[in-house]
Amino acid sequence: MFHWLEKNPFLFAVGVFLTVAFAGVVSILPSFAQTSRPVIGTTPYSTLELAGRQVYIKNSCNACHSQLVRPFKAETDRYGHYSLSGEYAYDRPFLWGSKRTGPDLMRVGNYRTTEWHENHMMNPAAIVPNSIMPGYAWMFKNIADIDTAYAEQLTVAGVFGVPYNKPVPMADGSTKTIKMGKTVEDARALALAEAKLVAADMKNQDVKDMVKNGKIPEIVALIAYLNSLK
Amino acid sequence: MNKLYLGAIVVTALMLFATYVSFDFKHGSSDIVNQLAILGAVILVIATIFVVVKYVRQMQTDTASGDLMEDNWDGVGEYDNPVPTGWAIVFLGTMIWGMWYYLVGYPVNSYSQIGEYNEDAAALNKKFEEKYKNLKGDELVNMGESVYLSNCSACHGLSADGIDGQAADLNVRLEKKVVKHVIENGSSNNLVSEGMSMPDRNGLFNANTNALITDAEIDSVASYVANGFKGNEAGAKVFAGTCAACHGADGKGMEFVAPNIASFDSSLVVNVVANGKKGAIGTMPKITVLNKKQKEAVAAYVQSISK
Repeated sequence: MFHWLEKNPFLFAVGVFLTVAFAGVVSILPSFAQTSRPVIGTTPYSTLELAGRQVYIKNSCNACHSQLVRPFKAETDRYGHYSLSGEYAYDRPFLWGSKRTGPDLMRVGNYRTTEWHENHMMNPAAIVPNSIMPGYAWMFKNIADIDTAYAEQLTVAGVFGVPYNKPVPMADGSTKTIKMGKTVEDARALALAEAKLVAADMKNQDVKDMVKNGKIPEIVALIAYLNSLK
Repeated sequence: MNKLYLGAIVVTALMLFATYVSFDFKHGSSDIVNQLAILGAVILVIATIFVVVKYVRQMQTDTASGDLMEDNWDGVGEYDNPVPTGWAIVFLGTMIWGMWYYLVGYPVNSYSQIGEYNEDAAALNKKFEEKYKNLKGDELVNMGESVYLSNCSACHGLSADGIDGQAADLNVRLEKKVVKHVIENGSSNNLVSEGMSMPDRNGLFNANTNALITDAEIDSVASYVANGFKGNEAGAKVFAGTCAACHGADGKGMEFVAPNIASFDSSLVVNVVANGKKGAIGTMPKITVLNKKQKEAVAAYVQSISK
């Protein structure tokens, strides 16, 4: 019956490939699409938060801190709800990490504040005795790279359709819109406005003065990013 | 007896000997699991040799017979023999089992990590509740201390002194700067009930002078409150004329109206832990990972250290 097919090995191979590939597509893609969809309440990063995320990556925070709460009672008691894959929908790349020298930071925005981070990043041992985390004093002087963060926003909005300037559904039924500037000047202004909110809660006068003068130190961007981790 | 049977006997003997040597009779022979294992190993050796010999014999002696099928591939054909019964039963059985597994077995009984977590968490929560249902007194304080150390000490410090003003000093009920801040700015922390917020200084009348509270009065009443409601006569008068209406003459507060400012009471601490607060020192986030008993325990601990 299938002699004609068996006599055409190439055609047969193509047919086998198509059959197996189709089976793979229908069984893998739907569940992949389902789990990679953003969880309700997950919002894209603002320009300042993205700049802070770059500071986080630049200083290799992910070498010692994970961002992945596993579904174990001991972890959820300490860090909050276990992580869902959809919560990483806007993380490019994700920063799960593979080693916890320090605590997990997946939901650090829920239980630490701007003031705490400010004191802690300057000298961790002063806040947490026996902490082996080094101080990051240079973050209070270095200027955050807002332009690159804006370039990243433009890229992910264009290539992956990240919903900037569009209402994103929140857990309580409301919506939230994360703004992205039309031009780089716009983006700088937006980032500065957000930085001013963060700096208002800070105590370091140098940082406050810098933000007042339109400069955003790395620490402000980093704190904005850490506060967004919820 | 040909060479094949001889070889089979030699191999069987060797394998049984190896099994015997590798099995530690001195220490393990009394254990039923070990006995079953050695029995299994012996059966496996004999069965393997038996099956191998049977098929090798068959290859040596068997000749092909029966009708060839129509199809042949470059002269290589296939006999049109019926399917062996045993094989057919296993084949059909596998298909039926496959259907069952696909439709019922896997979906109904499947393992999931989250399922295991939910079961674990429910069991542990239940155990916690039963074990600590009647926790009181010192034991509650002890639990509070460990909860405090793991959840609160990062900001309030190991000795609860607030680490040089970075968080509230819990060894005292209120610091002077906090009292002043609240009088000047009011408080919308709703510490006793929804919607009950304290007005700022433009809403605070001093009944003694029949005028808004003044800077000097704020300073003296703040010292009075921070000093544990003693010393300072002038402050006591301002307190009686301005604050006592809501906070009570002794500062112990009133239910649904104003919080206790003389000491930490349990409901106040539980409320702050559950909802967080924003005040003179900064923002305290709400702590969501604690259960009810743990919050009460923290309250008991804070009460115990603030005496």
